[in-house]
Amino acid sequence: MVLSIAALAQDAAPESGFWKDPFADPMFPLYLVIGFVFVTAILVILVALYMLQVLNMFIRKAAEERAEKLGITYAPEPGYWSKFWDWINGFRPQAEEKDILLDHNYDGIRELDNHMPPWWKWLFYATIIWGIGYLIVYHVTDTFPLSEEEYAASVEKAAEQKAKLLAANPPAVIDENALVYEHNEEMIKKGRTIYVTNCASCHMPDGQGSIGPNLVDDYWLHGGSIKDIYAVIKNGVQEKGMIPWGPVLSPEQIRDVSFYIRSIKGNTPPNPKAPQGELYVEEEPVPADTVKAGS
Amino acid sequence: MEIRSGFFLKTYFYRIIFKETFTPQPMELEKFSYDNKIVKAFIIATVVFGLVGMLVGLTAAIQLFYPVFNFDLQYTTFGRIRPLHTNAIIFAFVGNAMFAGIYYSMQRLLKTRMFSDMLSWIHFWGWQLIILAAAISLPLGYTTSKEYAELEWPIDIAITIIWVVFGWNMIGTILRRREKHMYVAIWFYIATFVTVAVLHIVNSFAIPVSFMKSYSWYAGVQDALVQWWYGHNAVAFFLTTPFLGLMYYFLPKAANRPVYSYRLSIVHFWSLIFIYIWAGPHHLLYSTLPDWAQSLGTVFSIMLIAPSWGGMLNGLFTLRGAWDRVREDPVLKFMVVAVTAYGMATLEGPLLSLKEVNAIAHFTDWIVAHVHVGGLGWNGFLIFGILYWVVPRMWGTSLYSTKLANVHFWIGTLGIIFYALPMYISGVVQSLMWKEFNAEGFLVYKNFLETTVQILPMHMLRAIGGGLYLTGAIIMTYNLIKTAFAGSFIANEPAEAAPLVKTETSSGGGWHHVLESKPIMFSVLTLIAILIGGIVEMVPAFLIKSNVPTITEVKPYTPLELHGRDIYIREGCVGCHSQLVRPFRSEVERYDPLGGEYSKSGEYVYDHPFLWGSKRTGPDLQRLGGKYNDLWHYNHMRYPDVVSTGSIMPAYPWLYEQKIDLSQTAPKIKALRRIGVPYEEGYEAIANEHLKIQARRISENLELELQGEGVDPELEIVALIAYLQRLGMDIKASKTAENK
Repeated sequence: MVLSIAALAQDAAPESGFWKDPFADPMFPLYLVIGFVFVTAILVILVALYMLQVLNMFIRKAAEERAEKLGITYAPEPGYWSKFWDWINGFRPQAEEKDILLDHNYDGIRELDNHMPPWWKWLFYATIIWGIGYLIVYHVTDTFPLSEEEYAASVEKAAEQKAKLLAANPPAVIDENALVYEHNEEMIKKGRTIYVTNCASCHMPDGQGSIGPNLVDDYWLHGGSIKDIYAVIKNGVQEKGMIPWGPVLSPEQIRDVSFYIRSIKGNTPPNPKAPQGELYVEEEPVPADTVKAGS
Repeated sequence: MEIRSGFFLKTYFYRIIFKETFTPQPMELEKFSYDNKIVKAFIIATVVFGLVGMLVGLTAAIQLFYPVFNFDLQYTTFGRIRPLHTNAIIFAFVGNAMFAGIYYSMQRLLKTRMFSDMLSWIHFWGWQLIILAAAISLPLGYTTSKEYAELEWPIDIAITIIWVVFGWNMIGTILRRREKHMYVAIWFYIATFVTVAVLHIVNSFAIPVSFMKSYSWYAGVQDALVQWWYGHNAVAFFLTTPFLGLMYYFLPKAANRPVYSYRLSIVHFWSLIFIYIWAGPHHLLYSTLPDWAQSLGTVFSIMLIAPSWGGMLNGLFTLRGAWDRVREDPVLKFMVVAVTAYGMATLEGPLLSLKEVNAIAHFTDWIVAHVHVGGLGWNGFLIFGILYWVVPRMWGTSLYSTKLANVHFWIGTLGIIFYALPMYISGVVQSLMWKEFNAEGFLVYKNFLETTVQILPMHMLRAIGGGLYLTGAIIMTYNLIKTAFAGSFIANEPAEAAPLVKTETSSGGGWHHVLESKPIMFSVLTLIAILIGGIVEMVPAFLIKSNVPTITEVKPYTPLELHGRDIYIREGCVGCHSQLVRPFRSEVERYDPLGGEYSKSGEYVYDHPFLWGSKRTGPDLQRLGGKYNDLWHYNHMRYPDVVSTGSIMPAYPWLYEQKIDLSQTAPKIKALRRIGVPYEEGYEAIANEHLKIQARRISENLELELQGEGVDPELEIVALIAYLQRLGMDIKASKTAENK
């Protein structure tokens, strides 16, 4: 439990995508240092506890010797912990055990008539009271939200946050109507990452097509312009099993994937899927210095 | 033998069933013997099935990072051997150990031989035959898919019969006892017998389709409620109460100390069995179960902390004054860790029932860690402790090697740690990855697979932990065999005791002490205590219509989809894939980004059985329909790793060779109609025509895409694709209808 909570705390903190590559994350050294300090602290505490025990042992030894000299039996004073332990459990001294031994004898097993541990009784009462309280605040007074209300609240909160974010720094409007392909290495690199995790399953890692059509040839089922590509990714083609990515990827991400797909056009990966759809001839002139990116 | 009941009918009933005689007996010691042979048989079965069950578990664990470890055989895929592992451990290993312990302790606590040797042996062989039937039928894919109740209806009937034999033998023994009062261990055995009988019968209600195929009587959310009432209380009354009983016998025996508190025994016994029954819905938090039932699950789970801890405290405090021996005696060491693990698991369980914690832990490896702390720690270690104590006694010798037992103890403890810690970490890591949004409000890990790949190293560590635990068990087996060979088996242990005389006056000692001498009254009170919770939760959930709001667009499955669904059930897909989108933004965004709908109870009204699942090793599938095209599924089921690089899903090549059995279509339709699915009268006559049309459409569509490869429309894969493409389509249709 403790460990899992620690893991929880550690995992909740990192920025998005920490687990993709923990070592490369800028926060990694900080976590490492915190972890190191934590471990060191535990070690220090352990050593200190051990030292305390050793000291205690010396004190006890001395007391035993003194008692021996005086010729009396050594009876150590119980520590605070053991006094506390006896108190919260309502323990009776073991010497008095015979007074509370019941006359039960089952195959040699005897039973004592000890009280139930007081703290245990209080725990039981507390959970019962808590349970009644829980039912009241959720179902009688409706103070706290049940799952549906909780969901509605989280959706509302997310929408608010998004609106705030958009208001603070309005992004350049990206949509299929005005998109122009540019050979931006940065965007294409980001697009490639998204492609590999989300698109390669059907279009294959090199775009040669398999379940989905070939993306490197000159034939397109739903148009080959960068605007068409963007629109197909965003809206999907439900009847053919192309997923609409609009609700899943941000406009920038869809643009980056579109640019990546456009950039691998003309590559010749092995085992290409036969062309499907219609020949698309580039309308926009491609910059002369184009270097083929991607694989 | 005494009967205190004044009712003539009751007495008459006893006489018939228990061959009752009422001749007065003189007060001198009677000589008799304890039956050790039956205990020996159950012990051997415990050890053998323990090793087998752990080995199957290890295999399943390895498959979760190295999927080819099923050797591409359909009988050894994860979906089929996971239930084999759970059934082998629960019913074969723990079950046989429970019977061994009960047969050993009950005779001695009641000062009598078992009621009937014949019943004992029918019980033993019947139970082993049930295990054999499970070991054959589960890999063959005969499963109801309801967790820990996977066995099909003929085996369920056999279980019922054998359970009654066990109960008859037990109650007969109790009625024939020479000890006036029943010790606390016996109370727990009675509760076990009564409750498991009720749970098993209610949850197994099903309509048979053929020999070895049936559909659950209940559907959707109601099936889920019954199943988790059963599932949770199988843990309570098969893994907990009998073992508390065993603890109450073997721990004071091994420690040679009096039980700490008789009062605590009484209070924690009654509160435990009364409260446990209510807690089942905590397996269904954030599901479509009505909120009031979910809340009852939560509060009764929290109230269960103290009753559970009562058992742990009574066990640990019994060791007061014997702690110096715990350091030396491996038996006590095993028992102390077992009782402590019980305390940890029964604190963790209630905490997992809090909504906020459950939202993180449910469907993840955290739950796997939790159950294994209970299974490996509590049940496993208590069994080991008992075996190390009882085997030398039954063979009249001492343990072959205390050193080896200590080695077993440390390897086993290390195994539990190596098992549990990685699973806690992987559970939390994966859950947080599922839920992580970026600043723009999009999921960071859009592809479920990213979160799976992340936790694979933890799965490897878990397998190491399991391997260590199994190694310890092998060492124990060697040690016990050596012990047995060193001694000579005492088949009938002589004993003597005074007979019980019929006395009218009670010996005093409080009302509960009087109750302890009235076994039938005790059993009836136990039955009442365990029935209340189930009735309060289930009856309204079944009777009040508003608990399951209907959705008009939700229609019964087509015949082809029905076949596909049965393949989904057969392959144990539910072991890794849930069909329940919880009302969390992260789940709606992940599983239904277009529709934006979490699961509604009305969607499941024709789901016999429900297939919500309890673990997401792969993504949820409830909104899968229409997400991918048929070809994607066709390729993915054959080569999962090629379609989703890094996937740990096994391949299902046999679905491309085997054909569906069209002769089963009509019986399936008829069976489902009988339990309320509205197929029109006579539909079964034309069902196969509809099936063929739908199958042809899919196969033609696939052939078109596959360019040349032929697809037989009767192949199982076609039916499965039809089912997968149906998932979630009704709610989409209802949205379209709304928009019009």
